[in-house]
Amino acid sequence: MIHARTLAPRVLTTSAMLAAALILAGCSSTPAPGPGAGNDAGTPVSGGTLVYASGDAEPSCLDPHVGGNYPQALVSSQYLETLYTKDASGELIPWLASDSTVSEDGLTRTVKIREGIKFTDGTALDATAVIANFKHLLDPKTASSTGYLALGKIKDMKAVDASTLELTLSTPDNSLLESFSMPWVAIESPTALKRSQADNCAAPVGTGPFKVASWKKQDAVNLVRNENYVRPVAAAGHEGPAYLDGITWRFIPEAATRYAALQAGEVNIIDNAQPDTIAAAAKNDAIKHLDAPRPGASNRIEMNSSKAPFDDVRVREAFVRAVNVNAGIDSLFFGTAPRSYSPLSSVEPLGYSDESLFGYDPAKAGELLDAAGYTQRDAEGYRTKDGKRLSLTFPVSTSQSVPAEQSLFEQLQATAKESGIEIKLNLLDLSSWYGALFAHDYNLVSAPYTKVGPSVLSVLFHSDSTIPAPSGYFANLSQVKNPELDKLLDTAGSTKDEAQRKDLYAKAQKLVLEGYYLLPLYDQQNHFLYSAKTQGIGATTAVASPIFFDTWLSK
Amino acid sequence: MTPKTAPPRSTDRPLKAVYWVLGKIGGGVFVLWAVATAIFFGIRMIPGDPAQAIMGGPGSQASAEALAQARADYGLDQPLAVQYFSQLWRLATGDLGTSYSLKIPVAEVLRELVPPTLTLAVLALLVAWVLALAVATASIRSGAVGRALASGLEIISAAVPHFWLASVLIMLFSTTLGWLPPVSTQTPAGLVLPVATLALPLAGFLGQVMRDSMLDAHTSSFALSARARGESENGVLLRHALRHAALPGIALSGWAFGSLLSGAVVVESIFARPGLGRSLLSAVTARDIPMVTGVALLSAATYVVIMAFSDVAERLADPRIGTA
Repeated sequence: MIHARTLAPRVLTTSAMLAAALILAGCSSTPAPGPGAGNDAGTPVSGGTLVYASGDAEPSCLDPHVGGNYPQALVSSQYLETLYTKDASGELIPWLASDSTVSEDGLTRTVKIREGIKFTDGTALDATAVIANFKHLLDPKTASSTGYLALGKIKDMKAVDASTLELTLSTPDNSLLESFSMPWVAIESPTALKRSQADNCAAPVGTGPFKVASWKKQDAVNLVRNENYVRPVAAAGHEGPAYLDGITWRFIPEAATRYAALQAGEVNIIDNAQPDTIAAAAKNDAIKHLDAPRPGASNRIEMNSSKAPFDDVRVREAFVRAVNVNAGIDSLFFGTAPRSYSPLSSVEPLGYSDESLFGYDPAKAGELLDAAGYTQRDAEGYRTKDGKRLSLTFPVSTSQSVPAEQSLFEQLQATAKESGIEIKLNLLDLSSWYGALFAHDYNLVSAPYTKVGPSVLSVLFHSDSTIPAPSGYFANLSQVKNPELDKLLDTAGSTKDEAQRKDLYAKAQKLVLEGYYLLPLYDQQNHFLYSAKTQGIGATTAVASPIFFDTWLSK
Repeated sequence: MTPKTAPPRSTDRPLKAVYWVLGKIGGGVFVLWAVATAIFFGIRMIPGDPAQAIMGGPGSQASAEALAQARADYGLDQPLAVQYFSQLWRLATGDLGTSYSLKIPVAEVLRELVPPTLTLAVLALLVAWVLALAVATASIRSGAVGRALASGLEIISAAVPHFWLASVLIMLFSTTLGWLPPVSTQTPAGLVLPVATLALPLAGFLGQVMRDSMLDAHTSSFALSARARGESENGVLLRHALRHAALPGIALSGWAFGSLLSGAVVVESIFARPGLGRSLLSAVTARDIPMVTGVALLSAATYVVIMAFSDVAERLADPRIGTA
């Protein structure tokens, strides 16, 4: 999933950092909280409205089938549910489905749908309803980008009986159930889906603990409790309807305003909490922190191996050895973002990492660059080869890279210069940034990608992903085209043997790491801050978006 | 539209007023046409396919089929000239089109967003006027030191960027003192900080010009003769100097309103307030051409109307300004 974080312009983020820095200074005198301060203390009470403040751009549609980005996942996790989900330990568990089996050849997937569940408009959940959802996702008019990809291998579907869905696949796909756990493939009322897209976007109908009551654009989405809710996920803390009367889902693009609103008690929980604010909040007893790294890929810098100078693996490794990533993360992220050495998020059980490949080693960088022919230096101290400077173009999306990440890139730029590597950072808005990628006008790039399960590796590193979609988009930004890797990924994605799957995905990750196609940074950050009076926070969907079913407000 | 040979002033005054109004309307229509044209062609020069914007942005991986459908639905497969003239025709008939990202009529979005932005801008203008007049009047009577002090304050506040002022106000009045909400809710308290953020820099600017002309009037011969007639110092200020001070203020208010609309982009984002400014920001980011066009045309129209009003107000305040 490609997503846009807050779309506030640069000028606003600068002011936010300034403000946050001042807030940080102002809060430093408050005492630190005791260890293990209980969050779920006391008996839950019903009632009250949770105010959620999102820093993301307001979705243009509340139905995550349409498009499919993270802000949609966050809000829709309150009123839509999925066939599968993940429990706290990362185990895939059925939710609206009750069970699933696959044929010996891997081409027929049977999904049992849970019985006795109704959508909030009274429509019953059955196999036909699920088919209507899949058809909605696959219809080009819906313009699904994320869910559409997840269902790509489904060739045919039929309802064997009310609770049995049979899917025929074009090729075996062992990531299908993981795909079913993503909010972009959530199940909506088929009756509601028959409405116009505008109507469905304004108030999608699902089976979740809350339902959409109203949406005042640029102000708030108002959710109210689903009084008939019966089926919480297995790991939930209670049965029956949610504790909260409702949720007011607000959009506050400015990080500093969002935090000020939390401190003032105007909102209960904020998302997109930035490192400096999290550090400030750690000194405040009244505010708590939820760190929920997203699944799928780690945040990483990818090196475009399709053109010079990165068509030479020595130059790719030289870049990796020349930049001091850990020093930058330490100084800019205040301990909120542990370093990653894997293409996959730390929440992915099949992640493989190798720290030894990514140590800061300017001497080695120098040797590699000498070997690669960059032996001369120009007047500005940059290395040259045949009179051409070693220069790397790095387009940065200001909406996908938070201010701390942009600063990290500037620090990498400074350390690379010491080794004679020039990095040209271009801060761009999202459309211009995509424009630069589509035109292959980049040597370095950092793009987040959220997906449940290791199959994200196929999306990012299979040679098929170098072929642009009609929109120009391609996900294989390091442009790795390796038949051996393709074969590993294809087999890993279709095998029925879990041990073999793990082994093959590990081999694939080893290959891209050792080939220096990417420089892993940290997990895709997903931090929430909430007031200590807001109890029962912590349950999330498979993509780490919080669910407020167990949440209650103490006096 | 001004007639070349002006008829004698005394006889044809109503006719001249009609010409003047017609001229204003013609000028206004020209401005709107120019804005619509500039946006139509300008927005096509920035990267990004409009069909992609409709399908959810460049990262949406929309299929070729879906993109073609979107192009046909929104007439983007027509030649540019056809698109341009049909766009002008739709605008002329009052049809602002459908937002690419929200998929609802632009007019509907604007109807919802105009009142909050208008409230913000009008209140900020009023507060700025009151502040500027109060400081100018007070400083006139407090000698050279007072004037220098007031002038310094005005220059500082006029130079302060909105985003900085907003952050400082939030930290002071919300985080530290806890008096006012940092987020602009529908309550009157929620309006205080956004209005102050917009009004303070404007007040500094207006105050500078007002005091200069007030000082001119205060030391002028007609003020001297008024004092000679036995007019009190307050009377001189209120009846004579104030009127003088108001003139540049009125003339600047049209411009000020325009600057308030652009300031609203920043202020509405920081205080999370619904409004035109914030929607313009998200529309530009999303390449939502109909929304950008709608907001820009509405702002231009408002600007034209305000300028006309400030022209009239100026004429009323100063009879020396003729109608032609």
